[in-house]
Amino acid sequence: MRYVVGYSANARGHDAVNLAVSLALGRGASLDLVLVVPEVQQSGHALAPKAGFENLLNEQAQEWLDQALALVPSSVPAQAHIRSHDSDAHALIEAAEELGADMLIIGATSTGLFKRFTIGSVASALLHASTVPVALAPHGYHRQEALTRISCGLGTRAGAEKLLEFALGMAANRDVPLRVVSLLALDGDAADSADAAREYAAKCLADALAAGGPADPGEAKAEVPGEAKTEAQVEAKTEIVVAHGRSIEEAVDRLDWEDGEVLLIGSSRLAKGRSIFLGSTAGRILRALPVPMIVVPSDYELKHLNHSASSDTPREAQQ
Amino acid sequence: MSADHAMSKPSQTGQQTGQHTGSQTEQQHGLSEKGLKAGSVGLIGAVVIGISCIAPAYTLTAALGPTVAEVGVQLPAIFLVGFVPMLLVAFGYRELNNAMPDAGTSFTWASRAFGPWIGWMGGWGLIAATIIVLSNLAAVAVDFFYLMLAQIFGNPELADLTTNLPLNIATTLVFIALACWISYRGMETTKTVQYVLVGFQLLVLAWFSISAFSHVANGTAFDATAISPDWFNPFAVGSFSAFAAGVSLSIFIYWGWDVTLTMNEETKNPEKTPGRAATITVLVIVIIYMTVALATLSYAGVGDTGLGAGNPENQGSIFAVLAGPVMGPFAILMSLAILSSSAASLQSTFVSPARTLLSMGHYRALPQKFGRISPTYKSPSYATIASAVAAAAFYVITRTTSENALWDTITALGMMICFYYGITALACVWFFRAEAFSGVRAFFFKFLAPLLGGVILLVMFVKTAYDSMDPAYGSGSSIGGVGLVFILGMGVILLGVVLMLVMAKLRPEFFRGQVLTRGH
Repeated sequence: MRYVVGYSANARGHDAVNLAVSLALGRGASLDLVLVVPEVQQSGHALAPKAGFENLLNEQAQEWLDQALALVPSSVPAQAHIRSHDSDAHALIEAAEELGADMLIIGATSTGLFKRFTIGSVASALLHASTVPVALAPHGYHRQEALTRISCGLGTRAGAEKLLEFALGMAANRDVPLRVVSLLALDGDAADSADAAREYAAKCLADALAAGGPADPGEAKAEVPGEAKTEAQVEAKTEIVVAHGRSIEEAVDRLDWEDGEVLLIGSSRLAKGRSIFLGSTAGRILRALPVPMIVVPSDYELKHLNHSASSDTPREAQQ
Repeated sequence: MSADHAMSKPSQTGQQTGQHTGSQTEQQHGLSEKGLKAGSVGLIGAVVIGISCIAPAYTLTAALGPTVAEVGVQLPAIFLVGFVPMLLVAFGYRELNNAMPDAGTSFTWASRAFGPWIGWMGGWGLIAATIIVLSNLAAVAVDFFYLMLAQIFGNPELADLTTNLPLNIATTLVFIALACWISYRGMETTKTVQYVLVGFQLLVLAWFSISAFSHVANGTAFDATAISPDWFNPFAVGSFSAFAAGVSLSIFIYWGWDVTLTMNEETKNPEKTPGRAATITVLVIVIIYMTVALATLSYAGVGDTGLGAGNPENQGSIFAVLAGPVMGPFAILMSLAILSSSAASLQSTFVSPARTLLSMGHYRALPQKFGRISPTYKSPSYATIASAVAAAAFYVITRTTSENALWDTITALGMMICFYYGITALACVWFFRAEAFSGVRAFFFKFLAPLLGGVILLVMFVKTAYDSMDPAYGSGSSIGGVGLVFILGMGVILLGVVLMLVMAKLRPEFFRGQVLTRGH
């Protein structure tokens, strides 16, 4: 397992490294810290040679990456790379594909005054173009310990089952509980809708367990020798939560979030309205969310599910 | 750090193979290996970069008037002659750039050749020149911004807003701040935009020339003047003073051309492309300059009244005055061409002083903070902002003290370019002195050409500086009986000397030659 971390020598980059360490610890993954430097152009009246500036830039980048590597605990293997490209997002996706990475991890911008997350241009380009899941660290993410719980935001649109299978695999692999979260923005009496949402979530979960179930015990065995896990045990570690509020943000606020939690969300819903990305449900969730969020591309599951019945989840579960 | 942590060399897609080898000492004393990039720019691309660095529409509007004021109808001759020292110095530049590619250019090269003191002043000259051109670019952009507004709304009063001092200064500062912000964010003009801007400038300048000549042919020109062979005779210039002033101004009009010569590693064919691109660029530029110069002189003459090119009122920005009568309703295209090219140039020129300041900070010739690179945008952060502040301050001072700020800044600029180009050319001669007689090629490019070019430019510099003490020099502004151009030029150089002495006190290691060592 390899995770590519989009690093920059600022708070955002530190957040990303911390999240990468948290994610890697539970999976024995190695990190590739990637720092993108712009391609230097020759321009201006007086000569401003690119070669000389490139040297200074690379020297500085190397120094920054040394500092970044020092942030990673010795239990997590890490490598550093300098890439030069005019588009950060492009360079990161290229790096992820070249290195065969299973996830891209970046920090959200820190300019949002009151909200924890603001989508920067890099993040938003990544979310729309990445072929691997993208993890976004909230501003000021300090934790460097393994995850303690995984939440999976469930929509009612197609694709939810696949996301859930991915989430189940991720939770099983890390031996942490899974919480299926349905967020509703409602006015007044919410009981009916909440029940419907709960029912839908339960059905999806059952489907996902059935689809991915057989593989789970074996997976677990491989990870924790001598301790076989049954489907019941996996099931016991899942719960369904329906949260509602007058707005999605309020619903997110009402939920309790553990420090070591992440929220998984499918990107099909994000990709639907690119132009109104921040107006979408996911964008609103993102703004209120106190924990990291992992956006899983919709074609990611499809691509990997075709492999075999036993691959309960895509690469996240493969050894 | 754990043993697992390994640094991997950039191994990607062939964009960049930056080298980070070298011990601490090597990084401090020598110049690190340059990053090579596989070919990306073809011949046309290189020519476009060269022309866009010169920004001919802006250059002509800024330099044509002041040059006519010095040399009158011998304008074409001076434009041709001015290219010679430029070419000679550019050969030296190319040799130095090949031997020591470095962001500090003149600063680094002069330090390696002559030691820290002259090196520091060489760097200062380069920074001062680029700061001055930044303020001039912004001012020209502002003039044409208001002129364009007037043309759009058909209200000539809007064009006069630029003569409103507080409004003019405020707008200029906004332009400088915007360009600084764009540069700080590390945004650069894309190739497509460059192609469009260059094409547009050439088109509009051709349009202007054709219109001017047809006015002459139709008898509707302001002061139709017959072209005479005498215009091409540099020896017909009245005095050596006028000649020197004219040459130092025409150095400015070719400034930026040398970029093409140094584009080795990014061209598709490093053996041939830079040389060919430089040749084509200079041919294109010379043809434009000749055509526009002849068109302007034939149409307007050099008289000092009305539209005449010799009218002091018109010196600051000749096209602002002439485009309307010559091009009629299409004059707005000229405004657009100059506004876009000077605005693009303003933004891209910020890179030059910023990189030099960064390099000086890096080599500890300036406070450490100048060496900062923004972690978010990966651009020289402190150096870019410092350049903007300096350009803004320079503009405010000139604008408030001079009767014709544009004119005087261009004259001071020509002087400053002669100063640092001269130092750089002689640095080339001295740096390569051991190889100078090792072959014909080395003799010409490393010794003779830069020596001649450097001496010519330094002579022009001294002569112009001396003449500019005359209160009537340039636009005729003066302070305490001394010409403003002299005060601007010498003031900037003296300021450099003072800052250098302060720096030597604060951070002596550079000045003891412990950071950049002399010689090979």
